[in-house]
Order: sequence, then structure tokens, then C-alpha cells
Amino acid sequence: MNQDIESGMRSALRPVAPSDEFSRKLLARVAADPQARPKSYGLMPRSARPLAWWLATSLAACLVLAVGIERHLEQQRLQQSGLEARREVLQALRVTSQKLNLAFEAVKSQSTSLADEKPGL
Amino acid sequence: MNDAGFDVLDEYLAKARSGERAALASLVRAHQRSVYSLALRMLGTRDLAEDLTQDVFMQLNGNLSTIESNRHLGFWLRQVTTNRAIDQLRRRSRVQLTSLDEEQELFCAEDGTDPLLQRHLRALLSDLSPQARAVLLLRYQEDLDPMDIARALDMPINTVKSHLKRSLETMREKTGGIPMRCEDQPT
Repeated sequence: MNQDIESGMRSALRPVAPSDEFSRKLLARVAADPQARPKSYGLMPRSARPLAWWLATSLAACLVLAVGIERHLEQQRLQQSGLEARREVLQALRVTSQKLNLAFEAVKSQSTSLADEKPGL
Repeated sequence: MNDAGFDVLDEYLAKARSGERAALASLVRAHQRSVYSLALRMLGTRDLAEDLTQDVFMQLNGNLSTIESNRHLGFWLRQVTTNRAIDQLRRRSRVQLTSLDEEQELFCAEDGTDPLLQRHLRALLSDLSPQARAVLLLRYQEDLDPMDIARALDMPINTVKSHLKRSLETMREKTGGIPMRCEDQPT
């Protein structure tokens, strides 16, 4: 009986050939990519693999680009606000300096006129 | 495969290792049936079997330098195919049953085995654990002896023998009412 089961198994498990179309594709793929390494695609359908690869690559590139642009813009904003602050400080210093000069001139002219009016003192 | 066949394939292997693509294609042609059948009967669907077959041959591309002979190549391919299939099955929560057009046989086999029994045996095979299924496939499809099966699956030989014994007993029990041969069927 065991022999019958064993011969039944051998008969049931005769190797089957893949479809001609698959064989053609397999040979083309192997011949075209002789140094390919195994890839872990899991259970993703083969037809979806190139699309998935391109999507993943594009997404990664977009992310890197977005982060780069964001950092560049942030740096520009900081630089602009720094320059603006510097301009305002310089302007304030200029105004203060002018006011001080005017005050100094006024005090100086008043002292001179007082000395002229009371020569005997 | 006879010795002359092995010699030719050994030559192809040497040429493939030196980068000759036609030789590599010949090796793929010589072994694709075995790899595909193992993948098909382990995983149960044609799509998954084709994916696995392709992945195994792509992996072979990167490992050609480690293959010493065509005999080693056959062993390597069976080992990689069964182990990758077992890994895939472990990741899947539920094993799909075999329901393949190419598995349907409507005529008696050359050895007289009943086609109904063959289908039933294949269905029973898909109920076994991945390891037990791999052991049976390597034994009855690939005709490996238990020692080679143990090496391929990195399993103690007693475990291989135990899988074989238990699986055959289960199959014998479950095929009790089905005639083994066409001539045994009632007319």
C-alpha cells in the first residue's frame, strides 16, 4: 500500500513546465542582467515592481528637494532679517549722532554769547 | 539526466561564470522546470511560483562564482527555492490551496495512476506544513534521498524520515476510498 502511495506521489508530482511566455521573459531578464543581485520584493506582483521602484525613488528625491529648498529659504529669511536689523541700528545711530551734534552746537553757541555779554566778570 | 548531459551543462556553467549569456540561458532552460514546479507546489499559485522562480534565477546570477558543478547547481537551486518558499509561507497567515489549470489531468498517467487520486494527493500536499511539503516534494518530485533532503533543508535526517513517514501515513488514510489505478476503477 505504501508503495502504491509512493508511486502515486511520484506520478502526481511530476515536474510541470512554466508557460512559454514566462520562460521567454525569464531568459530575457536573466540574460539582460547578468550581475543582478537578489531583491526582496516580498509578495508584490511583478508588474508593479518597476512602478513601485520609480514611485519610491521619486518620493525620496522630492523629499530631499523639499527639505533642501526649505532650509535654503529659512537661511535667506534669517539673512534678510539680520540685514534689516543692521540697517535700522545704523539709521538710529546716525539720527542720534545728528541730534547730539545739534545739541552740542547749541550749548557751544550759548556759552560763547554769555562770555561776550559779561566781559568784566 | 545522463552523464553526457551533465558534462554539457558543466561546460555551460564554466562559460556562464565567464560571462557568456547564452550559456547561462541554457542553464536556466535546463533547470527552470524543476525550480518552477517546486515553487508552484510549495506556494500554490502560478503568479507566486513565477515570481519566486524569477527571483531564484536572479539570485543565481549573483552567486554563479560559488557554484562548482551542474550537480551543485541543481542542489543549490532546490535548496534556495524550497527555503525561500518556506519563508514566504511562514509570512502568510493562510496557505492557498492549489487550484491550477495545468494541474488538472483528465487522462490516466503513463503508469496507470488514477488522475483523481493525483489531484487528491496534490490537494493533501497543500494541507501539510511547509517543511513537510518541502520534504515530500524533494523526495517524490526531485527524487532526492533523505540525506540530501536533510542537507537542503538544514534539518536532521531523523526529522526528514519522520516527516516522510507521517505524511505518507496521513495520505494513505485520506485516500482510502480512492482507487490507486485506472484499471481498479469500477466500469
